[in-house]
Amino acid sequence: MTIREYSNLYEYIRNCRTRYLLGSLFLLGANGFALLIPWLLKLAVEGLKNPAPGGHAPGYYAAWIIVAALAHGLVRVYSRTFILHAGRRIEYEIREDLHAKLQSLDLPYFAMGRTGDILSRFSNDLANVRMLLGFGFLNIINTAIIYLAALSLMVRISPALTLYAAIPYPFMILLVKRVSHSIFHNSKMAQEELSRLSSQVEENVSAAVVVKAYCREDAQTEAFRGIGTSYLYYSMKMANLRGILIPFMALVGGVGTMIVLLAGGSRVITGELTLGDFVAFNGYLVMLIWPTVVLGWILNLLQRGAASMARLNALLDAKATVREPSDPVKMEKISGRIEFRNLSFSYNGTPLLQGIDLQIGIGTRVGIVGPVGSGKTTLVRLIARLYPVGDGELFIDGVDINRISLQKLRDAIGYVPQESFLFSRTVAENIAFGRAGATLQEIEGAARLACLDGDVAGFPNGYKTVVGERGVTLSGGQKQRTAIARALIKNPAILILDDPLSAVDAGTEEAILQGFSRYYGDRTVVIVSHRISALRDCNLIVVLDEGRISERGTHLELLEIGGLYAAMYREQQLREEIAGY
Amino acid sequence: MTHFVGMHEDEVLGKAYDNRLLGRFIGYLRPYRWLAFWSLLLLPLIAAARLAQPYILKVAIDNHIVAGRMEGLPQLSGYFFSLILAEALLTYLEIYLLQLMGQKVMFDLRMELFAHIQKLSTSYLDRTPVGGLVTRVTSDVEVLGEMFAAGIISIVGDILVLVGIVCVMLWMNVKLSLVTFAVLPVLVYIVFAFRSRMRKAFREVRARLSTLNSFLAENIGGMAIVQLFNQQEKERQRFRQLNASYRDANLPVITWDASLFAVVETLSSVAIGLIIWYGGGEIVRGALTFGALVAFIQYIEKFFSPIRDLSAKYSIMQGAMAGLERIFLLLDTEKNEDKRESGQSPLNPPFAKGGEGGFKENFAPFETIEFREVWFAYQNDEYVLKGFNLMLCRGEKVALVGETGGGKTTVTRLLSRFYDVQRGSILLDGTDIRQIPLPLLRRRIGVVLQEPFLFTGTIEYNVCLGDEFARQRVEQAAAIVGADRFIRNQRNGFQEEVRERGSNFSVGERQLLSFARAVAFNTEILVLDEATSSVDTASERLIQEGLRGLLAGRTSLVVAHRLSTIQDADRIVVIHRGEKCEEGSHRELMAKGGLYYKLYQLQFKD
Ligand SMILES: Nc1ncnc2c1ncn2[C@@H]1O[C@H](COP(=O)(O)OP(=O)(O)OP(=O)(O)O)[C@@H](O)[C@H]1O
Ligand SMILES: Nc1ncnc2c1ncn2[C@@H]1O[C@H](COP(=O)(O)OP(=O)(O)OP(=O)(O)O)[C@@H](O)[C@H]1O
Ligand SMILES: [Mg+2]
Ligand SMILES: [Mg+2]
Repeated sequence: MTIREYSNLYEYIRNCRTRYLLGSLFLLGANGFALLIPWLLKLAVEGLKNPAPGGHAPGYYAAWIIVAALAHGLVRVYSRTFILHAGRRIEYEIREDLHAKLQSLDLPYFAMGRTGDILSRFSNDLANVRMLLGFGFLNIINTAIIYLAALSLMVRISPALTLYAAIPYPFMILLVKRVSHSIFHNSKMAQEELSRLSSQVEENVSAAVVVKAYCREDAQTEAFRGIGTSYLYYSMKMANLRGILIPFMALVGGVGTMIVLLAGGSRVITGELTLGDFVAFNGYLVMLIWPTVVLGWILNLLQRGAASMARLNALLDAKATVREPSDPVKMEKISGRIEFRNLSFSYNGTPLLQGIDLQIGIGTRVGIVGPVGSGKTTLVRLIARLYPVGDGELFIDGVDINRISLQKLRDAIGYVPQESFLFSRTVAENIAFGRAGATLQEIEGAARLACLDGDVAGFPNGYKTVVGERGVTLSGGQKQRTAIARALIKNPAILILDDPLSAVDAGTEEAILQGFSRYYGDRTVVIVSHRISALRDCNLIVVLDEGRISERGTHLELLEIGGLYAAMYREQQLREEIAGY
Repeated sequence: MTHFVGMHEDEVLGKAYDNRLLGRFIGYLRPYRWLAFWSLLLLPLIAAARLAQPYILKVAIDNHIVAGRMEGLPQLSGYFFSLILAEALLTYLEIYLLQLMGQKVMFDLRMELFAHIQKLSTSYLDRTPVGGLVTRVTSDVEVLGEMFAAGIISIVGDILVLVGIVCVMLWMNVKLSLVTFAVLPVLVYIVFAFRSRMRKAFREVRARLSTLNSFLAENIGGMAIVQLFNQQEKERQRFRQLNASYRDANLPVITWDASLFAVVETLSSVAIGLIIWYGGGEIVRGALTFGALVAFIQYIEKFFSPIRDLSAKYSIMQGAMAGLERIFLLLDTEKNEDKRESGQSPLNPPFAKGGEGGFKENFAPFETIEFREVWFAYQNDEYVLKGFNLMLCRGEKVALVGETGGGKTTVTRLLSRFYDVQRGSILLDGTDIRQIPLPLLRRRIGVVLQEPFLFTGTIEYNVCLGDEFARQRVEQAAAIVGADRFIRNQRNGFQEEVRERGSNFSVGERQLLSFARAVAFNTEILVLDEATSSVDTASERLIQEGLRGLLAGRTSLVVAHRLSTIQDADRIVVIHRGEKCEEGSHRELMAKGGLYYKLYQLQFKD
């Protein structure tokens, strides 16, 4: 299980192999010095004990010890920095790849996920993996070096005794196997709870106004306490497992020593082993106790890392349903003919759009109306291929939309979503979002078309005003008009406006519509609206009802049919009459 | 307008904060002092169990193996085994207790942070990135966990051992001790030189992580926009920059940490070298015995062992302190501002628990709400409302209309006291609303926000928000606003799952649900800010009809661009650039031929 989760890591480690290799070499060196210094010390002490006539003065050894100590220090610094830096660098690389992955995922994915959860994967899970790649790796190498050194020395002294010392290790492996699974499982649960904590905070802060308006602060805090408690529960399970594993490792080392004491002791007594060898052997065993404990720590880290890696893999391996076509059709320029051919669509199995047949010629302005939830937004989303479209159901300029490169397609589309999302950047940056290098004139021009110029003029920093996250520091209508300007400045062949005037007053609406009719030219325009007034420039109006086109035609034709549209129109007119008496 | 101050919070902190930090943190350990006490107590026991092992080995070798006596050896092995077993058990306890303490402290801190975030003012939240706050509650607290995992309690033990060894060394030989200690200034210097730098670097690390997360949170939220506008590459670059700057903030810390570690290693050997050199000379001069020198060397090793331990924890401690700083900084934000935000004011004990039964409370119904000469600015003195006056009497339906950006939403926000006015006052039956405990005020008002927000959960939860009283009215409320039609079409009806921000519902459906919410809470006052802007005409009529009964006897403040929805209002107030410019019934205003008349003509011309 662990191995599989890590297979994605292989490439990253390989790319950092020089650092890891150098780090390991330095580590070897550091361990060498760690042995060299006691040896020098031994020489010095022996020299002092039995001063030989031609022997060196104590200062001689002292000097060597100091030199070795300095070299040791230097090597240590490098061994750690190489390996730990590699860990950080890989963390960076993984985070880059995760982000690249995110950018390639489609709307269906994000409609499922929770922002807080992704945030948590990016920081907390990645931290666990990095821990393994840095400190974990350092200790693995270090432990391996010490083990190899001690083992080879022990085997040299007595292979049989070495086997005796190894007796408890199979038990260790057994326990490790059992505990590993638990660590993996609980760690994953803990990480999931941490994700939920993060989501809860994210949602709570985003909804602060709702929470305050309905006095739900305490209820929210209680909900948070619930998640916090369950995170605490899994963290303590982890602590428990770690608490078992680490002392158990020390125990294994201790039992080994005990067995050697018994078995080795009797050998010394029977004369099969010299006392000196026995003492030395014991010394090496003691040397191994600490690395064995570290081994427990590493195992813990490995499983924790694997659990987190599994969560990262889930993201890295996520597949977008809306993908770049493998053989995109070469198109000079998209001119904006849209054709739905018996298109159907469903979000989750239950069909929403059904049998949509619609031709929209270049320069046509289509208005879409229909009751709440009838699928208007869904329909226009498909034109930008935000959701997957079946083959042969939607054509742009006669080419199946699935065979047009996404970049090309979206470059040709200016889209004003129903909900305006702005970034916490300046107004100018928001407007020019889709057009790098737009001049101030162009930005102002777009703002003027969207009737935003007056508002911006009122801001002390004008176009340099930074708006809050999602645009919270703008009024509803200002946000919407910024989103309109952002789409207009792209100068697209296809303009999609999803209820673009829902948040503006009649005066502004009028002004914007006038601007629009100048702007439209021969662009293909699709406007969704609940207000018929916004559709006055449309030469085709489509009524969507429960995912089907129930009426289509010009304004006058539809009035004649006397269906949903006519009723809607009459209602809007009727109001006027009532009011105007 | 505003200057969104963005990431100001994540700028690196000042220095003054430093000293009180630890003391304050210890306050959080206090409830768990018994855990601390026991884990502290375990330390010498573990040490004893560990130290006794070599002694048993020595006895076994000296008395049995060397002497060639096998008998007694198994018994000694038994002792040895009990010792390692005891060590294992005690270590287990130690790890567990310490973790328990750590996790509990982290839990407490998280709860406090979260509860505090609930009380932060709307204006603070307006300019604070969500991702930053998420980082505070998760990662910044998480680093404290590392500190507990590394065993902060053992720091106390290490320091005690160190003091003990220093005493013994001095007692054994003052001169040799002084020679050994001669290397310490280097260490002290390095520790201090690194301290401020490390802390600074760690602050930088935390701040950059926070910035990174803020960016990411926004990036995820706006992914559809990024993709629609083909900005993936640009956003990747922005992210890469933040990511790289986070990585680079970490690198020096690693180097310093490694250096500290290496310096301690080196100094321990250098000290031994010095002793050999100096002590060797002494021996030659006969001023020192050989045995004393060897013993002393062993003490040097013992002396450096706790120092090594301490230095290994040093950077973890510094990292944790940087996390703590950020936690406390957030906890101190707006701490001394209006306490009533907490709802803990003595005036309103029944609401202290934010409990169920909520809006049914029998407050005396109010008679009037008055905006008196209200001046309000979100930022500095860029006034959005300029001397705004408005009178709402019980049972009235008052409409607010006007140009976009004119300040309509602002008026509704001030009524719920999401912000406080700068000048003038808002009076509820003559009492300034700043004098009224917030829950008492807000429980009178049901708001439909201009931008509906849905929570992850079920439809039912979104309508009642977990309030028992409102839960009973969920279906009724849904029917009143005509949301029941689409809810019935859902596979699980009212139990249908709602995803983040209601992403699996159409905008109109979301608006209906948030409308239903306001209805379900059955408040005296209803504030409807463009509550039907995204629904079709037929649904709108249904709502109007449904509301007619509901609004009777209730006070409502309605903001609308579609004038048809407010024609029956008792009074219509026209706001223009933050000032009231007209007021009257539909007919009066039509007759007047002013701004309202013009808006009306525009909307209904054919
Ligand atoms: N949170 C905020 N921080 C700073 N400025 C704000 C904030 N909210 C609104 N503003 C500014 O205050 C002014 C009034 O905004 P408000 O939302 O009250 O307008 P509105 O009349 O509701 O407009 P709309 O009809 O577009 O919703 C606008 O210029 C807006 O930019
Ligand atoms: N991501 C999604 N997952 C599942 N169902 C969805 C999703 N998005 C929308 N729906 C459902 O599909 C239906 C059509 O939604 P759509 O947003 O297209 O409606 P609409 O006609 O634009 O409505 P409105 O007038 O409210 O904007 C709705 O019933 C909605 O609940
Ligand atoms: Mg829609
Ligand atoms: Mg508004």
